[in-house]
Amino acid sequence: MTDTGAGAVLVVGEVGADGAARPVSFEVLTAGRRVANALGGPLVALVMGVGVGEAARSLGAAGADRLLVADDARLAGLTTEAASAVLAHTIREVAPAVVLVPGTTAGRDYAPRVAARLGVGVAADCVDVAIEEGELVAVRPILGGRVQTAVRMPGSRPQMATIRPASFEAAEATGAGPEPEPIAVDLAPNDLRVTVRETTAKEAGPTNLEDAWAVVGGGRGLKEPDNFKLVEELAEVLDAAVGATRAVVDAGWRPHHEQIGQTGRTVAPRLYVAVGVSGAIQHNVGMQGSDYIVAINRDPDAPIFKIASFGIVGDLFEIVPALTAELRAARS
Amino acid sequence: MAGGQTGRPLTIVVLVKQVPDMNAVKIDRATGKPVLGGQSIVSSYDAYAIEEALRLKERHGGEVVAVAAGPPTVKDALTRALALGADRAIQIDVPGINDLDTLAVAGLLADQVRALAPDLVLVGQTSDDYETGQIGPQLAELLDLPLVSSVMGVAVEGERLTLRRDVEDGQQTVETNLPALLLAITGLNDPRLPSLKGIMAAKRKPLERVAPQSAPAGGRTVWGEPYVPERGVTGTILQDVSAAEAAKQLVAWLREQKLI
Repeated sequence: MTDTGAGAVLVVGEVGADGAARPVSFEVLTAGRRVANALGGPLVALVMGVGVGEAARSLGAAGADRLLVADDARLAGLTTEAASAVLAHTIREVAPAVVLVPGTTAGRDYAPRVAARLGVGVAADCVDVAIEEGELVAVRPILGGRVQTAVRMPGSRPQMATIRPASFEAAEATGAGPEPEPIAVDLAPNDLRVTVRETTAKEAGPTNLEDAWAVVGGGRGLKEPDNFKLVEELAEVLDAAVGATRAVVDAGWRPHHEQIGQTGRTVAPRLYVAVGVSGAIQHNVGMQGSDYIVAINRDPDAPIFKIASFGIVGDLFEIVPALTAELRAARS
Repeated sequence: MAGGQTGRPLTIVVLVKQVPDMNAVKIDRATGKPVLGGQSIVSSYDAYAIEEALRLKERHGGEVVAVAAGPPTVKDALTRALALGADRAIQIDVPGINDLDTLAVAGLLADQVRALAPDLVLVGQTSDDYETGQIGPQLAELLDLPLVSSVMGVAVEGERLTLRRDVEDGQQTVETNLPALLLAITGLNDPRLPSLKGIMAAKRKPLERVAPQSAPAGGRTVWGEPYVPERGVTGTILQDVSAAEAAKQLVAWLREQKLI
């Protein structure tokens, strides 16, 4: 494999259990294209996994100049150690200036692990990237998302960052894309210490949270688990998915996979309706990328109103049924 | 997850991070800079890591050692871990910890943790304040341990470790052998509160204060001054409007935005 030279940008594409490239993989390509153009270097995509041929091609076609594919049964489930070995190897081969990794459960593990192995800097969970004076500037939210900071990694080669899902537009296909180049998957026994035994799909709700056009999120203001039916009814009439705050999940009212916010899910739908949600920062970091935010809460000082595009201060037990009925009438 | 009762006693290290209470963060209107006030607390996800360490010890026997790095005040966070049931604590003096990059901090922690030769290292998935989530993975790399994140269930049988995780594709079950490093998330357990007896006992438990074993080499990441991001939308807020009227106006607004 030839060295792609200074200024190359390496992006990692991940593939879901369904065999399709994860949406965030296309978003990372958008970020990578911007950085590659600023550096004047090639955009190299690395796709790791097992049986990823088709998904890799779809990613390559979305703007990559080179497409490297590590397709190996031992990469099933992308365990941290195996993924780290492949990524570290690829970095040594390609010698990129910048490496961008999806901020997925796996990516958030192997990116810092590889950075530690190489002794370079890595910026976590970034929502924006730019090049200034030839160096990567990666913007990330801190302190619960109330503020942001711009992270620079002077002297690090490569400079690494993980990209928060739903922070960039997805890159679209621009043509057939480059021919996939297989890369060697050289794994030591130490890289295979974790074995995936089983992956079971989430309990299927009406709509998957990340894919839904709209999400109705319920919080402690609903007072009792049974009152979540108000949220479910509103979600049904909107064809939306149901989400929950951490407080509600901690209290055992809703399953963990519905949790929105810090280490729960990050969603950025067209519409987010917050019902009885105060807007604690742990929640808001997971949904503030939504295009439109509607908040219904009795407390006029609730922080959720600071990020709402439309807020109603009042009793959710009156407002939500009225809203559901009004929407039902509007639909028929 | 039902755990096996077999096997040997476990040496468990749990990392504890002290953070400002994020709900008390204020933005100074004049400067636009964050002001960290309020109490210093134990970072939220660390509570699940501590609880799991205690439960594993209750099941298998052994020792729980709480380790923290930072300014002198981190003693409070370690004292809480001791009050909850940790057997002893190690406090690494790093006054300017927030000026170090994550790999430098992981290096200081690794020096101490390595000497304990733990069977398990438990770490919170990420911290409340700077949320890099990098200390766990980087410590695993430096200690050459397998890493399993987003852990929602832990079972130890002999040397075998079975873990339930929450991932994008659903629920995953993975296996590895001791020793390992695990990242704890919400849903792993229901953390206990310290008892009065525990609080009293904590005062008599060993808390060792140590200097870093080596000068940290940092500077791999340089963070700019924090700033408040611009927000695109300014909201309409309805107050003192009947539920029926509010619902009508909201539906009209949704239609205007072409959302319905």
